Amino acid sequence: MQSLPREVRGWIYNFFYNEHSVAYLKIDAQLCIAAKGGSVEHYGLSSLCIGKPVAEQLAFMEGLLPCPELPYHMAMVELPSGRVADLHLFADNDFVWLLFLDATAERDNRQRLQQKAYEMTLLQERERQLNEKLQLTNEALRQSQEGLSREYQRAESLLLNILPASIAERLKADEQIADNHADVSVLFADIVGFTERARSVGAETTLAILNYFFKAADLLSERYGCEKIKTIGDCVMVVAGLPVARSDHAEALAHYALELRKAVKHERFAGEPIRLRIGIHSGPIVAGVIGKRRFAYDLWGETVNLAARIQTSAEPDEIRISDATRKLLGPNFACDPLAETELRGTGRVRMWRLPA
Amino acid sequence: MQKKICMLGGFAVGKTSLVRRFVQSIFSETYLTTVGVKIDKKSVAFPDKTVDLILWDLAGEDDIGSFRVSYVRGASGLVLVVDGTRAATLAVALTLRERAEAEFGPMPFVLLFNKSDLADRWAIPDSEINELRQLGWQIYLTSALSGEHVDDAFRQLASMVTK
Repeated sequence: MQSLPREVRGWIYNFFYNEHSVAYLKIDAQLCIAAKGGSVEHYGLSSLCIGKPVAEQLAFMEGLLPCPELPYHMAMVELPSGRVADLHLFADNDFVWLLFLDATAERDNRQRLQQKAYEMTLLQERERQLNEKLQLTNEALRQSQEGLSREYQRAESLLLNILPASIAERLKADEQIADNHADVSVLFADIVGFTERARSVGAETTLAILNYFFKAADLLSERYGCEKIKTIGDCVMVVAGLPVARSDHAEALAHYALELRKAVKHERFAGEPIRLRIGIHSGPIVAGVIGKRRFAYDLWGETVNLAARIQTSAEPDEIRISDATRKLLGPNFACDPLAETELRGTGRVRMWRLPA
Repeated sequence: MQKKICMLGGFAVGKTSLVRRFVQSIFSETYLTTVGVKIDKKSVAFPDKTVDLILWDLAGEDDIGSFRVSYVRGASGLVLVVDGTRAATLAVALTLRERAEAEFGPMPFVLLFNKSDLADRWAIPDSEINELRQLGWQIYLTSALSGEHVDDAFRQLASMVTK
């Protein structure tokens, strides 16, 4: 400073004094205001009383004095008047000077910049939070979709257990299903003496036996390309040539009958081997689905009735087939003729026994 | 009797809004960042005494390194403010307290989890808050927007700094 010419020093002093509206307080050892000067009115300090404690008149001075480390600087303090000041405290013998330098413009500039920066950071933080939330939501959605598709597959496989696949497809397309099939073979099979024996062994054993029998019937259906249509008590109804026509339906069902008889032979029911009565007849039928909520795919027609009658007339362990079925069977099956028999509602019927 | 209290916390946690709610009973949705410090005053009356709280609303920092601890000189207590929707602001508030106490020694404080009205964006698990309560800390879930628990928190601190 010494080296500056007097004119320059004077100019700098005036410039700084005016630009920063310098004001000062002089504080004595009792922490009372000893003097004030400069632009005190600029900071709303005109009413400060000389000789009174500074902290009682300027709340922000509370706790600051005595200050062990002077000079002490606090930047950009907004005063109750709304002015922003840089505050400087420095010591001079027994007095402390408190200097006010206006920093309102600087504060406002900093505030504009900081506002933009913080708003940007907040936006980024919020975006990250929302992205995390989105990811969680997506994951939950994916899981529920997976669950839904599992449920769908379960429903699908349940439907397929009840109905042949092609019928199930058409049913889903809301089609009415009633089809004529000119050439099919129908089989009925039941367990000899089932009712009496069921009574003697109880429900649990009976159910286990039925389960065993019907499972065998299901398994063989798959193997020989037949359809198990339904069970009635201990009786199972199976058809070949449905829903897709096949010329060897009688042969397929004959193989099916032989295997079914063999499959249950080793299982015992109430101490005796299981024996079946099996009847087969071939001819035209009508197949369709009835019911809306509990679907039942079923067959109707004389062919079905006669097949049932033939089965009822069969001896234990016998596979009894109609003349129509025998004619369809190839030379592989040398059938034994049976005496013509009167069947209820049909008259005398020519039937054959399928050999072992 | 008057006591200097400093508001400490990360930026945009609601320090200025809490002071405005407490002193003027108003709230503004508009975010306005604080630069430097703004000083307010509010009297809290108890049956046996009245305390004037001199509230130093310090600028919240983005970067803790730039925190000017000198503002805290002469303070009798701290209000630590956390934004309940931004989990990272808890660590900021606790670090600022450490900085202040390293310089000026331990002092009473209350810990405020602010913005409790934003329940669907809340990011601090109850278990974490309960753990801090286990330390014997005075903790409040506040909303400068609704005013919930704001007066309670300041009153509590006023009673702690005059004990």
